[in-house]
Amino acid sequence: MEKHVAEKVRIEQRFPSWRELLKPTTEFKHGYYHYPFRISDAKYLELPFVREWNPLDKDWKLPPNWKEIFLTKMKEYLEKFRSFKLFMDICVRCGACADKCHYYIGTGDPKNMPVARAELIRSVYRRYFTPAGKLGKIAGARDLTEDVIKELYYYAYQCSLCRRCSVFCPYGIDTAEVTWIVRMLLKEIGVVHRFSLISIASSARTGNHLGLLPGGIAGALQSIAEDIYNLTGIEIEVPINKKGAEILFVAPSADYFATPHWYVCMGYLMLFHEIGLDYTWSTYASEGGNFGTFISYELAQKLNAKIYQEAERLGVKWILGGECGHMWRDKHQYLATMNEPPKTLEDPVSPITGTYFENAASTKMVHIAEFVADLIAHKKLKLDPRRNDKWIVTLHDACNYARAMGLLEEPRYVIKNVCRFFYEMPEHTIREKSYCCGSGGGLLTEEVMDLRMRGGMPRAMALREVHRKYGVNYLCTLCAIDKAAFPHLLEYWRLPVAVGGMMELVGNALIMKGEKERTTDLRGEPLIRRD
Amino acid sequence: MIGIIFGVIIPYIAFAIFVVGVVYKFIYWAKSAVPLKIPTTSGQQKSLKFIKRTIYDRFDSPYTKWETAVRMILEIFAFRSLLKNTRYYLDRLSQRDARWLWLFAILFHYCLLLVLIRHTKFFLEPVPSFVEMISELEAFKGVFIPSVYVSGVTIIAALFLLWFRRIFLSRERCISLPSDHFALLLLLAIVISGNVMRYFIKVDISAVKGLLLSLMAFNIPQAVEFANSIEPMFYIHFALGSFLLAYFPFSKLMHAGGIFFSPTRNMPNNNRAERHVNPWNPPYKGITWQEYYEAYKDQLDEIAESGYKVKPEVL
Repeated sequence: MEKHVAEKVRIEQRFPSWRELLKPTTEFKHGYYHYPFRISDAKYLELPFVREWNPLDKDWKLPPNWKEIFLTKMKEYLEKFRSFKLFMDICVRCGACADKCHYYIGTGDPKNMPVARAELIRSVYRRYFTPAGKLGKIAGARDLTEDVIKELYYYAYQCSLCRRCSVFCPYGIDTAEVTWIVRMLLKEIGVVHRFSLISIASSARTGNHLGLLPGGIAGALQSIAEDIYNLTGIEIEVPINKKGAEILFVAPSADYFATPHWYVCMGYLMLFHEIGLDYTWSTYASEGGNFGTFISYELAQKLNAKIYQEAERLGVKWILGGECGHMWRDKHQYLATMNEPPKTLEDPVSPITGTYFENAASTKMVHIAEFVADLIAHKKLKLDPRRNDKWIVTLHDACNYARAMGLLEEPRYVIKNVCRFFYEMPEHTIREKSYCCGSGGGLLTEEVMDLRMRGGMPRAMALREVHRKYGVNYLCTLCAIDKAAFPHLLEYWRLPVAVGGMMELVGNALIMKGEKERTTDLRGEPLIRRD
Repeated sequence: MIGIIFGVIIPYIAFAIFVVGVVYKFIYWAKSAVPLKIPTTSGQQKSLKFIKRTIYDRFDSPYTKWETAVRMILEIFAFRSLLKNTRYYLDRLSQRDARWLWLFAILFHYCLLLVLIRHTKFFLEPVPSFVEMISELEAFKGVFIPSVYVSGVTIIAALFLLWFRRIFLSRERCISLPSDHFALLLLLAIVISGNVMRYFIKVDISAVKGLLLSLMAFNIPQAVEFANSIEPMFYIHFALGSFLLAYFPFSKLMHAGGIFFSPTRNMPNNNRAERHVNPWNPPYKGITWQEYYEAYKDQLDEIAESGYKVKPEVL
């Protein structure tokens, strides 16, 4: 047999001078740059300047007055976003953020330092919006040229909007916010990447990123119910588009089809059946995630508005949300601002325990981990954590709900109740300091695989530590993008660790009324007990 | 002549630029909308009763106005975020402290505060007793003659340390712009000239105080009189200080005021409990349920026919 020799990954750190750093990089490396949008998606979303273009071409076919549009829009966004204006002004380049970015750690590219990423646009801001900028280069200012646009595109899409740098910044400068606005500006001159737009267009049309039609969703939920029947012998009815249900349940659409998301979806259905929850799925609001948040405010609103519309149409009292990362940045920080919560919604109160979710009183949307933790605390679930004995678990805090919501203890509380072996990764890689999987923020696409594998390196190394030390073989994460990204990442870094969600572990441990004796877990793998 | 230019005209201009510039900058920032509530949460959110929040969680992920205020105070007086600094090393997985930056920054800023407090004795008559007390305490009065102010000397060291970071650490060198060096060098020049004046080339302090008091009283003839009697050494320090004032509002030094506006720090993490309103929120543009229904009528009707539910097909 041919011996498999791992290719060495070299991280070349470069430290160019500040002058060189001001010069735009236009050489796009394979595995780091994104493909341009598809005409059909861009047309459907009514983006400006839809045309065939290629990032590798010299001529990007920008509109003739692109510079004027860019600067006018920049002025507009400076007025619309105080964050942007402030973050352009107050950075002192202390360097606290520099080594906090997983892309910088993984690639060594100086422009992947959060401060340098922001400098790409800050230099333009100085040139056109500050008096000192007239001095030019010496003031750290540079002219807006086509090369600068190219560079902005290249690096704005090398950021996963994870906000890790923002935790360490003494002024709270949030690179995610800066990158987001750069992406908005680029959108205005017809420069958008392919991956997010495909999903946004699908979601705008069909209600979910995968483009599943109502029949497909029903079929998927039915297959999941069949898997549950085979496992437990229980026939579960899954309500869809049911008017008058008490709760609308919204999950990321990957949960209908992808693996290991599928097991998480089994977990939802088993739990809701077991507690007799009066809820419904919706095909119109069949997506919890929101790729619109990766590109612009308007696109984000276009997608998340459907949830409230549907909640109102179905006459539900409140909304329960599934396991997803950026979905919770969107639901926690954006949803109720971008859309007024319908008056028909009522305060979120758990029908099983009577707990009033005070922290969700206005948005009326509760996270599944909060909901399940509450059930467990009130001893409403019969659990056999020994069914998860096969797994030695660690938890990856997904960036978005860790740093934009603060959901840290709820998943831990649930996990510690449903499995017996739980170990934390090193302290500086979890909770609010959690390292990104490297594929968030619209980067979950094949063409930037090199970047993703490198960006995921810090997380993979932290996992390797607990894998070696405690034999951790299950990486639990409550994020759909993580669940899709980690299997590749862990294969790349040669870590034999399974990836799954919290609700899979809950589904395994949940003792259901009238179930037959389980011989396998949700994955169909034999149960192992450790004593 | 030097006295009039550097003692009277330039200080007035510089001070005016400083005040107008800072006010302008505050208005400039405040004018922009805050469309979204985007606190960076660095601790456990407030959710269920049995989910315990530690004291750190309450300030790193504040839920109320008070907790947010404490977060801001910690940020401003203790540089809390900077204190979290840990570095990533390929060769080791445990975290390694990299809080030097925090230490240097704290040293510099607190020394600056002490120095500024001590300088009020040139502006205030009578000198407040706490100013005298602080001056005496930090000089360990009686140990050296003349008294050596610890803050005045330490601030030089702190500035050099901060500057050395930018010169000797490759990452920091690479991100440092000329303006970053300039700010540090300007501050260094000011504190060094101040120290030189205090310990080596002495100037007439009572005349300096007279100048400042008459400037503040807009008693220009008297100010000119005092100004002409002061030694040139003083004007190096004074002109540089004036320049710093004028430079302040247009430079990164405005971080001092900017921190108060930072939306990731000055907003509570109670997003789902209290709605934040965006003043320019656009209307929804997208398909409606009706359009969706018409597009996928067959499939939706099928779901309706089966009673809005699916069941597993059991063989």
